[in-house]
Amino acid sequence: MITTNTFTNFARRLAATKGCPYVVIAETPNPIRQLEQVPLRQRAEAMLDTIIFGLTQSPTAIQRSIEKVAATQIHPQGVVRAAMPV
Amino acid sequence: MARTSVRFESESIAELMTQAYEHAYEQGWTDGLPIIPATPEAVQRFIGATGRPAEEVIGIIPPRQGQASVEVLAVNAVMAGCRPEYMPVLIAALEGLTDKGFPLEFIQVTTNPMTPFLLLNGPIRQQLDINSGTGCLGPGWRANATIGRAIRLILQNVGGALPGIYSKASFASPLRYSYICGENEEENPWSPFHVDRGFDPHDSTVTVFKASNYCNISGGEGVGPDEILRQIASNMPPMYGGGDGALLLLGVNHAQSLHEAGLTKRDLQEKLWALARLPEDHFAADFAAMEHTAGRGADGMLWRTEGPERIHIVVAGGPGPQDVYMAAGLPQTRLIRG
Repeated sequence: MITTNTFTNFARRLAATKGCPYVVIAETPNPIRQLEQVPLRQRAEAMLDTIIFGLTQSPTAIQRSIEKVAATQIHPQGVVRAAMPV
Repeated sequence: MARTSVRFESESIAELMTQAYEHAYEQGWTDGLPIIPATPEAVQRFIGATGRPAEEVIGIIPPRQGQASVEVLAVNAVMAGCRPEYMPVLIAALEGLTDKGFPLEFIQVTTNPMTPFLLLNGPIRQQLDINSGTGCLGPGWRANATIGRAIRLILQNVGGALPGIYSKASFASPLRYSYICGENEEENPWSPFHVDRGFDPHDSTVTVFKASNYCNISGGEGVGPDEILRQIASNMPPMYGGGDGALLLLGVNHAQSLHEAGLTKRDLQEKLWALARLPEDHFAADFAAMEHTAGRGADGMLWRTEGPERIHIVVAGGPGPQDVYMAAGLPQTRLIRG
């Protein structure tokens, strides 16, 4: 999955509801809609390593590398409402 | 299904209620307002009012795929302040909300403030004192307030639409507290909405719409049908996220005037569809392109909906030169049983 960083946690949260909590997420700083072609390409290239990791590693290796982070992203402990992104 | 129970102790009932509210708020189980504690006795009374087994699952609610069983609905209905006899309405509404054709998951997580709007038809309105007349969309009627509230609690507690966590609605909306009314069939000069959808006039039904807004339309008193419709149409512009349709709650005075002018509901749909359009250069280029792609425009104009049939007409409210327009569509109508 590719996201801007504002939506990374939310993306993992939603992926978890579909049974995919360990989806590899390549993120870039938000926003991007104002970017011209050259900086946009630079942003895409910066995400390539993560994308290659997600496409080439085994599910077990991916889960091992993401597990701890994923748990905090999916549902922050004790948080039941949030006016700022969590 | 896991069950938990919480016990509070105090010599004061008021203190017990306060403790229950504080605990429920900390757990994220409320809409911010106080709740009625869902005691086992109260929940059993509510389940008993349905004639269904407690474990029967009515639907699965996204995004967290919570199982909306009769018991779970009963818990949330008690918390919302419902009466037990409201349960069949909640069950039928949940059947509509969890229909595959209804975009419930989208509604639950989007940044848009969309929320379900419930329309009640048939004898259930009198049986449960559901307001269809003056003040029908406002506070004061227990059935209107608590049935709508129970729906919100169910979507939040069972589906997981916790504000800011799974629900990303940027502003959300006061409509998410409760958005429901009955159709004023008694002052509707045409056929009721549920009859148009194939039900018998004596059936009791609930229709759920995907609704994005609320817009009161004032004016058009003592004028002819063309001016009434022009006034209404001018308040129904093409809008982002509203493409699924439009719902018009026509005020009783305007309904009578339009009927006396010989207009049918189909006539209203066609005339409003022809009037509710604007030049595309009135809008941002991106939006205009999107509407054209969706089939809502041609010849330099953008239309409110793809066709007249997407403008739904209901009669509601009390006397006065008022109507209500909602960007609302994708109706799911269900029979209320029990």
